[in-house]
Amino acid sequence: MIKLKGMYDSMLRCIISEDMDAVDFVKEFDEVRGKGKRFLPGAKVVLDFGARPLSEELIRDIMSDLVWSSGMYVAAWITYDAATQDLLKRIGLPTSEPAPSARTNERALGGTLLLQRSLRSGQRVEHAGDVIVAGHVNDGAEVLASGHVTVLGRLNGLVHAGNNGDETASVIARSMEALQVRIGTKIGSLDRDERWWGKMVIVRVSEGSVFIDYWPAVKSENRDENAG
Amino acid sequence: MTARVIVVTSGKGGVGKTTATANLAAALANMGKKVVAVDGDVGLRNLDVIMGLENRIVYTLIDALDGTCRLNQTFIRDKRIENLFMIPTAQSRTKDAVTAEQMIEVCDELRREFDYVLVDSPAGIEAGFRNSAAGADEALVVTTPEVSAVRDADRIIGLLESMNKSPIRLIVNRIRPHMVKKGDMLGVSDVLDILAIDLIGMVPDDEAVVTSSNKGEPLVLSSAPPAARAFRNIASRIAGSDVPFMNLELPDSGSLFGKIRRAIWGH
Ligand SMILES: Nc1ncnc2c1ncn2[C@@H]1O[C@H](COP(=O)(O)OP(=O)(O)OP(=O)(O)O)[C@@H](O)[C@H]1O
Ligand SMILES: [Mg+2]
Repeated sequence: MIKLKGMYDSMLRCIISEDMDAVDFVKEFDEVRGKGKRFLPGAKVVLDFGARPLSEELIRDIMSDLVWSSGMYVAAWITYDAATQDLLKRIGLPTSEPAPSARTNERALGGTLLLQRSLRSGQRVEHAGDVIVAGHVNDGAEVLASGHVTVLGRLNGLVHAGNNGDETASVIARSMEALQVRIGTKIGSLDRDERWWGKMVIVRVSEGSVFIDYWPAVKSENRDENAG
Repeated sequence: MTARVIVVTSGKGGVGKTTATANLAAALANMGKKVVAVDGDVGLRNLDVIMGLENRIVYTLIDALDGTCRLNQTFIRDKRIENLFMIPTAQSRTKDAVTAEQMIEVCDELRREFDYVLVDSPAGIEAGFRNSAAGADEALVVTTPEVSAVRDADRIIGLLESMNKSPIRLIVNRIRPHMVKKGDMLGVSDVLDILAIDLIGMVPDDEAVVTSSNKGEPLVLSSAPPAARAFRNIASRIAGSDVPFMNLELPDSGSLFGKIRRAIWGH
């Protein structure tokens, strides 16, 4: 099923449900074009495919049967499949969630991405803003955010907070099991035998180095221990 | 008849997909079901060898798709087990010789004649995986308890989820008793913790698997080997019976099996 929803800044979000069969695309595109005859031409649209991987062939079909024929303007192609993101980037298509303009108070809403799922190996989330993962970030999965990242489950994969260079960004994980965390331009590393492994921690940058601490802090002297 | 079409797949190669397909097909047929095993691993033909049917190939799946023959002319009937069939594939073609649409069509045609269609697919990291999985409703993901195999399995589970396969169930293969939980070997409960899907069976590492596939004789026909029993149990679970899990991982089996039960039966 394909759903159209309003976002901030008069942007539309076109959600192509993950469990829709690829064979139904043509029919569904027809329907969306029909429904959006009046408002789709010139509209800014985020195409959201969930975790669905897209082949070159499918991207071509989407271009011709949905994008060009409806007259929409695609602000971003969103998929959590990392290989598809790389393919879209190679073609030159935008793959990160557009940042909302700062002028409205919708910024707070639009700026945070709440992901209610686990990210499996090969899946990647890229977001201009803060990201909360209500699930695990498995080994081989990636979260790239211009702001803070909070992982409510286990963090095994790669998180890069403040990926535009913002070193005030932090990473909180309920169970820290990653060998590496990136913040801004810095990389912090952690060994399996360190005491923070498997614990709830916060990682941040202070005076140019990456620090790890229990979260919430248990003792104030833990603060200044370097994660490496 | 409307068959359940099940793709047998994995993230990493060489973890036991073909072995599982051959043995589960034989075990299900032995239970009185009408089963066809389809070699969906175009380019690396070996399901026929493991099933010991390679000498009897006349037409392959590719011939049927080319229009050289009808689909039912590709069926090879197993002479040892009633109701067991296989469809071989051609070795010479590239991995994308069969399109997703063709695979869906083939599976839909087989659906009418069988109880179970098992599709042996290439490993998920290879091209052709998506096509061979296209016609299936359900998936069995095979992994060994190694870190790298589990990571690749995780990836394939993500793909299968986005392809809307359900249920997606896990076979942990080549488990060694008294396995040391260190280095890059994981315990079954760790594997389940990471992959977060239902476990349908654990298969021990068993020399008999290698000898039986060399002989082209389905393991499940003999009663003794532990792996044979594991495959029979998985077949029964596929068919819907609640078979208790074998005790493969000592010594902390108590807590481990408690955990696995919860993971599977939700209590
Ligand atoms: N439980 C087991 N115990 C011992 N050996 C096993 C077991 N399962 C599989 N093997 C052996 O491992 C090898 C690989 O198995 P198999 O060919 O079934 O894997 P596959 O996943 O189909 O590989 P490919 O990705 O190449 O198609 C074979 O030699 C097989 O005999
Ligand atoms: Mg194989």
